Amino acid sequence: MSLNVKNKRALTALTSAALAIPGMSASVQAASVLTETVVQYKASAYREADLDSSKLSGGSLERYEIDTQQVRAQLPLGENTDASIEFMYETMSGASPWFILPGQDGPVQVMSGATIHEERKDLQAKINHLLNDKTVISVIAGVSDEKDYFAVNAGLEALYEIPDTQLTLTAGIGYSDDELEPTDGSILPDRIVRATRDSTTAFVGLSQILSKTTVVQASLSYSLQRGFLSDPYKKVWIDDQANTINDSRPDDRNQFVAQARLRHFLPDIQAALHLDYRYFEDDWEVASSTIEAAWYQNLPGGWVFTPSLRYYSQTQAFFYAPYFFSARGDGFGSADYRLSPYGAISVKLRLEKRWQSLDLHAEWESYEASADYSLDSVDLENPSLVEFDILSVGLNWRL
Amino acid sequence: MRLLLLLLGLSVLAGCAVEPVEAWERDYLARPEMAWDPDALGSSYRNHVHFSKEASNGGASVGGGGCGCN
Repeated sequence: MSLNVKNKRALTALTSAALAIPGMSASVQAASVLTETVVQYKASAYREADLDSSKLSGGSLERYEIDTQQVRAQLPLGENTDASIEFMYETMSGASPWFILPGQDGPVQVMSGATIHEERKDLQAKINHLLNDKTVISVIAGVSDEKDYFAVNAGLEALYEIPDTQLTLTAGIGYSDDELEPTDGSILPDRIVRATRDSTTAFVGLSQILSKTTVVQASLSYSLQRGFLSDPYKKVWIDDQANTINDSRPDDRNQFVAQARLRHFLPDIQAALHLDYRYFEDDWEVASSTIEAAWYQNLPGGWVFTPSLRYYSQTQAFFYAPYFFSARGDGFGSADYRLSPYGAISVKLRLEKRWQSLDLHAEWESYEASADYSLDSVDLENPSLVEFDILSVGLNWRL
Repeated sequence: MRLLLLLLGLSVLAGCAVEPVEAWERDYLARPEMAWDPDALGSSYRNHVHFSKEASNGGASVGGGGCGCN
């Protein structure tokens, strides 16, 4: 056997060994599939802060509480295929913003009267198949079920390592078909009984290994939503009619996203820096910027401490206002705080303990939205912008 | 325009000096904390929360569903 052939075999063996390292395929997006079974579990408690009583005109001060359980299993299916399945179960309760009235000191919120109790079940599955040593194709399918909402989704993704470049190309296309059946739709005369919407998404991304410690990724995404995109539970106050009308939005929405991500490891202090930036805009005139930074600090004894910070700022949709003096000529109108102009700051702390085959973690996140945090000046702050805390605990078990 | 500036910035970043890294030199890159999303469950959960509370969503993936109307 020639030395050259021996070297090639050694190189192949080393490459295979490197790609078999847990997390390798996710970290540098090498064309590989899983070689071990991993089971993950996470329980999260989401709590929204009560509404400020000075901003309330009617209904409950209490807002949403959501308890979530998630289970995920990833397992190899032969040498060239792996699969993952994720199940999420949520129970939700609380009051929801209904419509906004003009007040003496600014807009005041009317909340839904009754406490709402709901549950959601979501199942997502993904199969990855290694076509050759440079290419992975993935098939995705899922279903989400609530009392008043049912959605099925499917997608295809591909990953290709461009030879001799340290570049990895990813691309995908997905489709979601959703059906709404609002609560009390058959009782309340001004609420729809049933409606549909669908969503088609496509993305392309390119990641580049810059050095032994740095990798970057840039991606572009486009999404088209069509159908009933209004919120059947929200109303809009029209002052000259002294009455409300239904939340009404255009029946299509074109969304564009550009995203850049960086991962950098600092060997001297055993820490990893994550920096993410996302720019979003759509034809409802919403534009937003999201910046996230996280610091993964390895500590003695298998501990990892991760503080992270997220900043978000968005402009308003063209048909948004807290209330209208007269109805818009095009018939559109929404007072939904999610379409209002604001900024948000979120802080998260995470502590993880790693053993040979088991990791445990706990994390806490605090999120606050405010017109004061917006990049642009805001004339009237929506009174129902959210503040929430999330407490989570979870485990990873490698079998 | 902002999108074009962003793409220009990304092109400049991608054009930074690329140091050759062989497959067996990727141990730092292979560490779990260097993944794009080190906590898959946490990532899908947070994406759903932000999708439910903000007007923006999306990125380098497809899939997911649900109303998030609350």
